[in-house]
Amino acid sequence: MKTFVFPNSSISCSFAMQYGYHEWLISRFLQFVPDVKGLIEKMEMKPTLYIRTNTLKIKTKDLKERLVSKGFELEHTILDDVLAVKKETFRTGATIEYLLGYYYIQDLSSCLAVDALDVRENQTVLDMASAPGGKTTYISQKMKNTGILVALETNARRIRALLFNLRRCGVINTCIFKMDGNKAMDLNMRFDRVILDAPCSCEGIIAKDKARKTNHKPEDIEFCAARQSSLIETAIRVVKPGGLLVYSTCSFAPEENEIIVNFILEKLKNVEIEPISYGSEGLTNFGVLHFNPALKNTRRFYPHIHDTLGFYIAKLRLPN
Amino acid sequence: MYRLLTRQELTTMKRAFNKWGVFDFFKDKSILIKETKNCNIREVYFLSNEIEKIALLEQPSYAGLMIGQLKKQFALSIEGADLVSKISKQFPYVIVNEAAEKSILYGKNVYSRSIISTSKMIDENEIVIILNPKRETIAIGKTRFADTGLLQDDKVVVTTMIDAGLYLRNEGKIKNKKQTE
Repeated sequence: MKTFVFPNSSISCSFAMQYGYHEWLISRFLQFVPDVKGLIEKMEMKPTLYIRTNTLKIKTKDLKERLVSKGFELEHTILDDVLAVKKETFRTGATIEYLLGYYYIQDLSSCLAVDALDVRENQTVLDMASAPGGKTTYISQKMKNTGILVALETNARRIRALLFNLRRCGVINTCIFKMDGNKAMDLNMRFDRVILDAPCSCEGIIAKDKARKTNHKPEDIEFCAARQSSLIETAIRVVKPGGLLVYSTCSFAPEENEIIVNFILEKLKNVEIEPISYGSEGLTNFGVLHFNPALKNTRRFYPHIHDTLGFYIAKLRLPN
Repeated sequence: MYRLLTRQELTTMKRAFNKWGVFDFFKDKSILIKETKNCNIREVYFLSNEIEKIALLEQPSYAGLMIGQLKKQFALSIEGADLVSKISKQFPYVIVNEAAEKSILYGKNVYSRSIISTSKMIDENEIVIILNPKRETIAIGKTRFADTGLLQDDKVVVTTMIDAGLYLRNEGKIKNKKQTE
């Protein structure tokens, strides 16, 4: 499917000039983002830093005490394991507590995707695009290091980072396959839970990487969407009956989010979208397209509204 | 390739677990060897029981937690040492002060003046776990002196072999190298 490009306007022209974006991107935001100016201004600021306690090694209360004693200012969030870093006395990634694997630096939105996966002990779980390991290590701690967690990653360098994080966090219930998520069927396994944090255009992380204001084109969204469709089709095939698939991206683009999930709902009538407690409702229409009304149960995260990176989460339940 | 331990390897591991005071802990745990094709490295992995089956059947790239390497003897990894320090009641260690903790995490050796306390009966050239004042594993080292020799003034008394900051330092070096290329 071709990426939707909308006519430019005086507002899109003005925002694009003022904040250094490609105008096509702003014109698209104007179609579906609430308070586009708020979003753009928020993305000019440094995003809030979050840390997630590795409860395999320490309790959140104890970690907080240790970091506060070193001058850090931390605030609780909607998730018990996740703290917002309001002030760091030195780099959050350079503390002894970090090296000891007591926490992982991870955006709240990414943690919410794992929370939506509703993982239990002794389950069989697949992480289809796992490096550098934020979600993988969080899933492992939710499984209390039991059961089977299969992590897929194709890139050798990213596997090294993944491995470092698994070791640092003391994970023993995970195996890594150097494998493209599209080949997950080759594992000959079915999973209680599958998470697909799909490779995407990363529009949602502009606050972290300003180059993304101008370094991607509408064709890149098409390329990503094609890959995401193929990955989600594979993901659905490896979920056990009654199991859950969480699909997520760090993109705002409906072509990478609602359109992908809608494609699955059209194809498999029995798949249900389960509600998620946090975030803004998913879109039910975009441009000339109208989606399955259940897509409002999916969730969008906007930096200026939720104080996270831009993110999208859908929770799909397979029929028994 | 992941495989079960040979009888000889099992004996070596039992001896090592005994030395580190974790024999009972590992008695009913899954341990596998990962052998790389071209080099003669045998890594020792601690896995959950379910993952052991997958590792043997499906041969993934990695499975479980690498707790050390088998050379002539078993050499603990930092993760292995971390487990030992949490589980074992009797193992060779030195506890260093907070100021030394930082420099050790940059790979520096241990000076006698940094040592707060040690385990009993440490030999020269003995492998010890280096702990911070909170008794957390920060490195593994080799002693240059025995017992009271470790408390001599102003001398390096333990050579740091691996530390918890090693991976990040190496990654930093790779990044810097790429940037200069």
